[in-house]
Amino acid sequence: MSERLFVKVGDTFLKSPLILASGTCNMGRELSEIYDLSILGGLSSKGLTIKPRAGNEGVRVAECKAGMLNSVGLQNPGVEHFIKYDLDFMNSLDTGVIVNVAGHSTDDYIDMVKALDPHKDKIDALEINLSCPNVKEGCMSIGSDKTQIKKIVSELRKLTDLPLWIKLTPNVTSISDMALAAQEGGADAVVLINTMLGMAVDIKTRRPVLHNNTGGYSGPGIKPVAIRMVSECFQVLDIPIIGCGGIEDAKDVLEFMIAGASAVEIGTASLVIPDAPVFITDELEAWCEENNTDIASLTGTLKLW
Amino acid sequence: MNKDHFCEVVSKSMLNGDTALIEFRCPEIAQNAVPGQFVNVASSNFLRRPFGVASVDKDTGTFKVGIKIIGEGTEELASMEEGDGTWVLGPLGNGFDINGEKFILAGGGTGVFPVNFLYEKLSSEGKKVKVVQGFRDKSQIIMNDPSYILTTDAGDAGLKGNCCDGLNTLSDDDIKDAVVLCVGPMPMMRAVASWADSKGLKCSVSLEQRMACGIGICLVCTCKIKAEEEGIPFEHKRCCKDGPVFDSKEVIW
Repeated sequence: MSERLFVKVGDTFLKSPLILASGTCNMGRELSEIYDLSILGGLSSKGLTIKPRAGNEGVRVAECKAGMLNSVGLQNPGVEHFIKYDLDFMNSLDTGVIVNVAGHSTDDYIDMVKALDPHKDKIDALEINLSCPNVKEGCMSIGSDKTQIKKIVSELRKLTDLPLWIKLTPNVTSISDMALAAQEGGADAVVLINTMLGMAVDIKTRRPVLHNNTGGYSGPGIKPVAIRMVSECFQVLDIPIIGCGGIEDAKDVLEFMIAGASAVEIGTASLVIPDAPVFITDELEAWCEENNTDIASLTGTLKLW
Repeated sequence: MNKDHFCEVVSKSMLNGDTALIEFRCPEIAQNAVPGQFVNVASSNFLRRPFGVASVDKDTGTFKVGIKIIGEGTEELASMEEGDGTWVLGPLGNGFDINGEKFILAGGGTGVFPVNFLYEKLSSEGKKVKVVQGFRDKSQIIMNDPSYILTTDAGDAGLKGNCCDGLNTLSDDDIKDAVVLCVGPMPMMRAVASWADSKGLKCSVSLEQRMACGIGICLVCTCKIKAEEEGIPFEHKRCCKDGPVFDSKEVIW
């Protein structure tokens, strides 16, 4: 590993800016059979809730141009099971352990943080999911209201010293208002962006392809939106940003970092090319050598017109 | 271990108007695939497309998949010709448990491809195998062998009826202590599972669901499976990683 890829997200050191995005790497087991995950800066767990969730029924995926829609609906084994069976495994991977925390109400998030805080020596950051579009309550409905964002983040801030990364939804009128609310609540970083709410129609049946009707659009199609949001938030925030949305190669990573990201998450790319982060890491190292620079020095160097 | 291989097409044939049989070179997949496993094949569409392995040849290091054209992705892949190449992830999924001596295989739709691989493997090991294939009509018949019991809904070839009508022609001797392995459309697999149950036979089915990653990381291809834990109505298991093969008694149809 090249030291040129070392980054910091606030006080959290990561040996690479590449983090696997929640929901696209499960708990790391399957991908660890394919490549050595210790090349990564971190891995964000599947979105977890207090109780196990079966997720949505029926068709959960629809391919579309430049990406896909999913409506998994936060299927997960519950935080207790995670702590018992997955957390130590994630810790064994020699990479940053990010735990993605979801819920239906403020109380759910509070209970989640209370359940995870005693294990803080095994966790590098909590990623607070205020952005899943596929559940009826909580998540995106909280994350699209700046008053609720500030309230919930400040409540969680009182409960833990672990870094709180707030993963925000792009399905809002003003992303910078939401990011500022997270900062005011005491967030350590914001993660921009989760999926964009979308729909696909089966023209034969005249029904939505997804049995949840709508789903989250991810993949390279959302990259320009994500980069715009990173840039917009970078102008107004004091806390760092983790960029996410459609990253497929090193050039995409560089774009996000120049626009203002301190680190990035790779999501849907892993579903198509499971070892994409291996190539991206090599390309980033080569780019840093060629340009005689450390990757961290790129953050926010965008020169707006 | 990286399972993503760039594979060259070494032969291609059209089996009927909308189904191609493509042979790829990939010694790793040819060596390691077991019947019931699948590969996830890249095209210019965003997601890969999963296909059950239809045959392997360990000597030449090649394997075959059947591709029925149902959309843009399958149309592009079915149009590949000798010398073309693409990325193939595999072998994936659990595959069938083929420990045992006596089997009844039932195939329909694109399920005839994995059934072909099962037949190839089981018969090469000298096991007793009976195969029943069901098609809509004569024009749909593919991957057939004269030793199979053939059924068509239209009755223009083989026995008129469905797979279960074919299964009903098996003798008591064929049925006794056999294990039923079935791949086909859901209604067919459900009917075959019910037939097996009525005969007291163990039955495994290979489920199909819209997939993305194929390796168990995205959870979009889940199937409803009876929960092991009491008090829970069902579990969503990953078709790609926990399956695609499940005991028919675990499946919530």
